[in-house]
Amino acid sequence: MSDLDHAISLLRSCKPIPEPAVRELCYKARELLIEESNVQLVDAPVTICGDIHGQFHDLMELFRVGGDVPETNYLFMGDFVDRGFYSLESFLLLLSLKVRYPDRITLIRGNHESRQITTVYGFYDECLRKYGSANVWRYCCEVFDYLALGALVVGAGSFVGDENEECEVEVVGVGGDVVTRLKRRDDGAGLMNAANPLQEGSAGGGDGGTVGGPPGSGASGSSGGTKGVNNGAVLCVHGGLSPLVDSVDKIRLLDRKQEVPHEGAMCDLLWSDPDEIDGWGLSPRGAGFLFGADIVKHFNHLNNLTLIARAHQLVMEGFKEMFDSSIVTVWSAPNYCYRCGNVAAILELGEERNGSGAGIQWSAAAGRGQGSGVARRGPGRRYRVFEAAPQDSRGMPAKKPVADYFL
Amino acid sequence: MALSVPNPPTTPRRVKVYELRNNDWFDRGTGYCTGQLVNDEPHIQVKSEEEQDRMLLETKIIKDDGYQKQQETLIVWTEPHGTDMALSFQEPEGCAAIWEFVSHVQSHLLSISGADEILSDDANETLIGSVMLPSPELGNLTEIEAMIRSASSTAQARDSLGKFVLSEDFIRKLIPLLEMAEDLESLENLHRLCNIMKMIILLNDTLIIEHIVTDEVIFGVVGILEYDPDFPSHKANHRQFLSDTSKFKEVVPIKDPEIKKKIHWTYRLQYLKDVVLARILDDPTFSVLNSLIFFNQVDILQHLQSNQAFLKELFSIFHSTESDPTQKKNGVLFIQQCCSIAKNLQGPVRSQLYNHFIQNGLFAVIDFALLHEDASVRIAGTDVLVAMIDHDPAMMRAFIFRQISDKQKPLTDTLIELLLGEQDLGVKAQIADAIRILLDPATGLQIEGLGKANDITSRLHPRNHSADRETENFLKTFYDDSAKKLFLPLSELDNRKSLKGLSIAEVSLFSHLVDTLCFFVRQHAFRGKYFLLAENLPSRVAQLLQSPEKHLKLSALKFFRTCVGLQDEYYIRHMIKWRLFGPILGIVIDTMPRDNLLNSACLEFFEFIKRENIKQIIVHLGENYRDRMKEITYVDTFNMLILRCEQLQDTTMPSSYVQEDKSIRNHVNGARRWQGVKDMDAAEEEYFNTSDDEDSAPTPKDNPIKGANGSGSPLPKPLVDYADDDPMDTADESKPEEKRGAAAPTKSAPEGASSASPTTSPTTPILQMADGDVPPGAPMPERLSEKRRREEEDDDELGKLRNKRRSPTSGGSVNSLTKKRSSGPGGSPPTKKIAINLAVKTSTGSSDGGGGGGGEVTGDGGGEADDEK
Repeated sequence: MSDLDHAISLLRSCKPIPEPAVRELCYKARELLIEESNVQLVDAPVTICGDIHGQFHDLMELFRVGGDVPETNYLFMGDFVDRGFYSLESFLLLLSLKVRYPDRITLIRGNHESRQITTVYGFYDECLRKYGSANVWRYCCEVFDYLALGALVVGAGSFVGDENEECEVEVVGVGGDVVTRLKRRDDGAGLMNAANPLQEGSAGGGDGGTVGGPPGSGASGSSGGTKGVNNGAVLCVHGGLSPLVDSVDKIRLLDRKQEVPHEGAMCDLLWSDPDEIDGWGLSPRGAGFLFGADIVKHFNHLNNLTLIARAHQLVMEGFKEMFDSSIVTVWSAPNYCYRCGNVAAILELGEERNGSGAGIQWSAAAGRGQGSGVARRGPGRRYRVFEAAPQDSRGMPAKKPVADYFL
Repeated sequence: MALSVPNPPTTPRRVKVYELRNNDWFDRGTGYCTGQLVNDEPHIQVKSEEEQDRMLLETKIIKDDGYQKQQETLIVWTEPHGTDMALSFQEPEGCAAIWEFVSHVQSHLLSISGADEILSDDANETLIGSVMLPSPELGNLTEIEAMIRSASSTAQARDSLGKFVLSEDFIRKLIPLLEMAEDLESLENLHRLCNIMKMIILLNDTLIIEHIVTDEVIFGVVGILEYDPDFPSHKANHRQFLSDTSKFKEVVPIKDPEIKKKIHWTYRLQYLKDVVLARILDDPTFSVLNSLIFFNQVDILQHLQSNQAFLKELFSIFHSTESDPTQKKNGVLFIQQCCSIAKNLQGPVRSQLYNHFIQNGLFAVIDFALLHEDASVRIAGTDVLVAMIDHDPAMMRAFIFRQISDKQKPLTDTLIELLLGEQDLGVKAQIADAIRILLDPATGLQIEGLGKANDITSRLHPRNHSADRETENFLKTFYDDSAKKLFLPLSELDNRKSLKGLSIAEVSLFSHLVDTLCFFVRQHAFRGKYFLLAENLPSRVAQLLQSPEKHLKLSALKFFRTCVGLQDEYYIRHMIKWRLFGPILGIVIDTMPRDNLLNSACLEFFEFIKRENIKQIIVHLGENYRDRMKEITYVDTFNMLILRCEQLQDTTMPSSYVQEDKSIRNHVNGARRWQGVKDMDAAEEEYFNTSDDEDSAPTPKDNPIKGANGSGSPLPKPLVDYADDDPMDTADESKPEEKRGAAAPTKSAPEGASSASPTTSPTTPILQMADGDVPPGAPMPERLSEKRRREEEDDDELGKLRNKRRSPTSGGSVNSLTKKRSSGPGGSPPTKKIAINLAVKTSTGSSDGGGGGGGEVTGDGGGEADDEK
């Protein structure tokens, strides 16, 4: 392990590790990833992160804000490489952490974890510049083929923050202060509805139908007290849904060990985007699809999901919930490409509490909404927003030049 | 008005004069161009070369901003009465001289008019447009910075500022300030200088950028850029890097000083692009840098390849036994760099380069490199080789034939030996790629099945038959002589009991060999099939399923998935005969219900059989593995297989594969069933009939499946093609294929043949994927002519991406999507490398994908850049 720890410490200081060490690392990672399922099960608590894109110093900032590995559990939703100048160091650091703490960190595949895309958007060139040959790039691409396609977070709690405050969504701003707090409301309103600062004195526990999740009433059948609290799960994928995948189990039937195909379920999971449309739509990206609120809600209902977390699209605010909080985009590359001026975010899902109210918080349809079907609520979510790493912490970002030249 | 312009260029420059008439450039004649002062007013004159007295052109230079220099040799402008004129110079120098005169005059005119007519409206406009900066000194940097900043906001002012900077040699005037500010340790001024320099560069004026990389100013420029106010506590070391760290390696002296200069410039441009300016580059400046680099490289390579003396000297390094090993090594790396640059050039130029290289002994160099002890040299050698194969496979094959007839060891064998013996895993992978590309009938040529399968392509790129035959011969030779050597390690597995204790290199060798086999199965139609079955390689691959290395198991599984994916009689029967489905089922049972990669891949394998309703296999499975399959209950796949098997056995008309149907449908290279295939099938069958080797390659008459005893007699063909009874399917009995597609979670192209490329072989012809999806009349994807732009493997993929069409894989709404998609603008091959284009926008996916129309992923270029924001 000392080799690995050495590699980690080198990578943490943004220094590439020697080629044989990369090979060794990729080899170990492959052995590990091959045991993971296409949709990896992950227990809350976990912190979900979006695109990184080779912005190494911002990744370090992310760890500073969200807590270091292994103290915090992480789930990265792909796009570790390309665009930024330190794809190699970023990806290898994440990979070495994965090998070092396999249960603490989950990596899933993004559309940039692909041979074709990396040759165009920088990772290939970066490897060539840093090692003089494409070997390291090959090793990494081999690992890409083994990455899981998604993850399912289970056991997430209903509330964030203080036990006494039934706070569904908390946004922690750049300075570390809580900027928004939304208590759970009956009408299923999510963050997209008008900001609604938590009111003082909201009752704790599930003592009635006033605040918080009303007692379970039929539908899903798991009412208060029973152990099998069905909180629903959170599906994490890089892109989104596919018309070819109507259940999470279908994803299990894919042979994921291949270059990201140009179409089909695996492609869609990594390429699709949610959009304000009905049903499915054509994606302007040329791969994957656009999908509307109805699709998401139907899928979530069918698969007992409360939320889909995905990345893949830049959001200036770092995160964006859509469709009554049934899907969220998380973006973790601040000041994308060193000039977009956006902030980044990570999404923290807490552990389910064994408190008195736990049994009822997640029951099906709201009491007053009898018969309105199953309108599940999202888990308690804390978004931590952060900015690009301070300039001084990182030297000037630049690509590494090739020193020798013939032509 | 008196002008203090520099001496007008009086050296006559040969030039053609054009005038735009009715949208056509009319040739007014050829003559000699000079700049003149006529009555103190600047003029351009062109005297006819035929009649000395005749003036082809006599025009006064005006201050209007209508003059443009285009390319190296063209000046274009509009005369005051509105006629568009152009001067096309024979020499770039001539053009430059006249252009300098024009720009100079203009900037003077502008400054004068500013002074003279300061009150007139007209002048006011001019004033806004024209930018004059005071002579820079530490005291006025703030002012200059502000002026430039405000000028940067309008196009006109930027233009004018650019001209001013050049004509006043403004950059050179800034440089002494750097040293002064450094001496004074005045960070404030250093930051201002840096800001000024950045803004000047971002004016995006080609001439300015060309200027800043010249010897005179480069160090000053990058020195100024070391003090980036965005990083106030840092200082970069560009000067040091460029002067000390970076090394120009001159393997053989390049004597032409111009070319040498260009090499340095190009390097500096790259350094600017990648390092100094990497963070601040905007799209236009990025592409200006790129195109400058590109044109320089073209010039450099053009010069080198036509310089016989140089080439002689370069290649003589390798002839002499005495030359320095380092020099030899650098020689290889130099050639590698030439070839990798050449990949970007146009065909004819690249051909010339390669031809000249070959004439001087390139192949000997490749041989030398491949056997070099240094892995980096071997990599370089393989790189060059792959570039050559990519460029002209026919030439490479001809060369190998020559080697064979000269009784030399052919290159193929060298590669095979290298692959088998190589310890460096990177080199091993690259050589495996090289072998595949060399043997890929689709690199440039089509043969046998492929020729027909890709008939569209062959129409686009008509090839003569002799070329086809050559490839065919080449493959024949390969299978006759080399294939056995290549797959010897696999064949030898036969005697091996256990697969434990394989070294890393061995494991990687096996996985390359199996990948290569997959590739042959897909690409080489009957020749590959015959070889594989005769050698009983599938059984050897099945042994690998027992390897403790899981990824090797996966490779092996992929091989069988490829075979089954083709739905080819012979492979299926072979697998049944040797009971190769058993071990795969075994993996499912071993891994279940663990939900891991291996397990999923196996499930996909059986799902595919179920989905495609491959009756032969289903019956075989049902009869032989029924009990084992019954154990597998955590997915319904196996239960469904058993059910279906029962249905198949129950039918009064015992089912069978339908000979014609199957072979047509599932022909190897994504056969297009509406044409041509019949002949081939006949030919193929004949081939198998005549070359029947033992019984491992059964003839069609062997129809009865040995393993299928349960059902007794040879299974006659069913009258009814049973509709897929997958519970997911909904009604619509009339279109079983479509339904199958709808039920298919993965690669559900309507025809089995199209889903025959489950793996990611770089060279899978794209038509395979498009096959069946694109109606005959639809615009066909362009052939992979543009593929492999940068690197063998990936570029193929890019090629595919570029040519990708959506298949109507799912029912309902998606079908209508597909329709829309294919009626899109379609077909335009999008640009290859996309500059980052970052729209800052929060709404998603609403913007148009930009890039090529239709369903092309290069949208990832346009599309992604736009959308991912």
